[in-house]
Amino acid sequence: MSEPLPAPATGPTPLKATSRRATGARFAVFWGAPPVLWQAAFFLVPLGFLVAMTFWSVKSFRLTPDATLANWTFILNAGFFRNAYVYTFWLSALTALIASVAAFPAAYTLAYKVSPATRRFMIFMLVVPFFTSYPVRIYSTQIFFSPQGIINTVLVPLGLGPLQVLNTPTGTVVGYLVLTLPLVVLLQTFALANVPRILIEAAHNLGCGRLRTIGTVIIPSARIGLIVAGTFAFVLAFGDYVAPTYLGGSRPPTLSILIADQVKSGNNWPRASVVAVMMIMTLMVVMLVMIGLAYGRRKERA
Amino acid sequence: MATPMIELDRVAKHYGNHAAVAEVSFTIDKGEFIALMGPSGCGKTTTLRMIAGLDQPTSGEIRLWGRRLNEDAPWERDAPLVWQSYALFPFLSVRKNVEFGLKQRRLPAPERRKKAEEWMERLGIAGFAERGVDQLSGGQRQRVALARALALEPEMLLLDEPLSALDPHLRVRMQSELVRLHRELGITFICVTHSHSEAFAMADRVVIMNEGRIQQIGAPREIHRRAANRFVAEFVGGNNIFTGTARVEDDGSIALAGPVGTVHAPSPLEGGIVTGAAATLVVPADRIELAAAGTGCGNEVAARVVTVEFVGSTVTVFLETEGGGELHAQRSLHEMENTPLAVGQPVVARWSPQQGFFLPA
Repeated sequence: MSEPLPAPATGPTPLKATSRRATGARFAVFWGAPPVLWQAAFFLVPLGFLVAMTFWSVKSFRLTPDATLANWTFILNAGFFRNAYVYTFWLSALTALIASVAAFPAAYTLAYKVSPATRRFMIFMLVVPFFTSYPVRIYSTQIFFSPQGIINTVLVPLGLGPLQVLNTPTGTVVGYLVLTLPLVVLLQTFALANVPRILIEAAHNLGCGRLRTIGTVIIPSARIGLIVAGTFAFVLAFGDYVAPTYLGGSRPPTLSILIADQVKSGNNWPRASVVAVMMIMTLMVVMLVMIGLAYGRRKERA
Repeated sequence: MATPMIELDRVAKHYGNHAAVAEVSFTIDKGEFIALMGPSGCGKTTTLRMIAGLDQPTSGEIRLWGRRLNEDAPWERDAPLVWQSYALFPFLSVRKNVEFGLKQRRLPAPERRKKAEEWMERLGIAGFAERGVDQLSGGQRQRVALARALALEPEMLLLDEPLSALDPHLRVRMQSELVRLHRELGITFICVTHSHSEAFAMADRVVIMNEGRIQQIGAPREIHRRAANRFVAEFVGGNNIFTGTARVEDDGSIALAGPVGTVHAPSPLEGGIVTGAAATLVVPADRIELAAAGTGCGNEVAARVVTVEFVGSTVTVFLETEGGGELHAQRSLHEMENTPLAVGQPVVARWSPQQGFFLPA
């Protein structure tokens, strides 16, 4: 503290300024606190409880506080867990990939090829799916793909069916896409719209055609947004319970189905917690890797 | 007559009802350094962008060596642009930025590397080749932008306000460097600028635009000595503009009764000024001398010093006549040091009638 104390003669101005700043800080803390408290109460505390519960045991269908690693060793060594883990990871990654690739042309069109009015309308239309609750949308998808559903009614007379989608991994992925695709299109549109127009023009000016510019300038410039969009798709799919249950037919089970199974059969909350903690850790690692990919500098530049 | 390199033939660009560029026609020869100059919104940048193909003319034709260029996509043209904000690719190193255009032309990697190396060397950025562009200063970025454009070895280089984002001392250096590059390369430079000092210092010919129209095209000296209209005379600065009533004298010269009294100037070559008509006389400020007393010949205006402004090695002296008329004179600092002027001091401003010229009515 090298700052000298204000001399009394200079009047109350510096003091006033300091107290005003302090008031401002208190004001910010007051209004900023609720979301922090909310997160603490309904995310951090339950998370701590969840982690603690993985060390508890179940004795004659009753939860008993304990300090055992039995749940961890059981789950991590269980073949059904390992299979479900790989399966869920793979389907979620596939969903993120399909959603990212499928969304790109639409996002490109929305970002560059339509008038601002059309873009606003289309963005609104992309939000509309979220008006209806997600399980309802999955039910309606089920109707579409049912053996006597709209799709097979059209395909069978053409000799192209029947298409077996329900109760297959394809069904699960379709459900995941119902959940994630509108969001990925939205996020990609925003990412592409934020690419400086001047860089695209500079690429054109230097002899780079429209299609090549996508790879040379647009994707590298929108990299962060595109990766965030794909990561969102992965995260949403990885934890989803509805699509694998109603469209995938629970077979093979995903991790979310495994959690439900552990709880339903035998009330085994500790084992379910182990699966849940494994999922959370996986998502954290995936997020960290993706953030590293998005923001990381290229090591090799030459 | 030989075909000019670039022809703009009644080129216009409309945005709705607004004409950003209204029927502009001019030609550019190979190897010329052309400056498009005017205030912001005059259409100079739009004109440049149309040459690059980044904007489409609403009407008119742009030709390159006599061939219509309008339908060529920007990437099919050989007109690299150096942007005011540089528009470097932030996700690429300096070297990759410089190689970008060459890569699009599918030049093999070794050749690409060699060319990029040469241009980085030439523009003094070879030392930063592996750096990201966000680690460079403004002046260095400008050099990368220049190297990136020139590595294509184009027949023309487009520059959009190339100096306005630089520090003043860098601006002067870059200005002479652009002139040197232009001389050494022998290619056509088309440079957009709002600064007449930049345009006049660098260009062979200057195109002055205002509100989408060309006001005057000519060599810097020509424009400076013979502004085509009031807009140009005011925009290039350094001119006294007197509007008054003309009287044709016996010898054919014109006497103008205006705000600073009656002054004389030769009749314009195209004639057109009659006794009793309103006329506008331009007297370049650097042609006005200041003396303690009159000599009785030439134009002499008694005035008082209002302000003295020092601009580098020149001094602008603002004067006011008894009747409230205003004029200013530009003198060298050297001269002013020998005969210092005080505010309020009476002086005689004088100039030869030959130094003034009338604007076309």
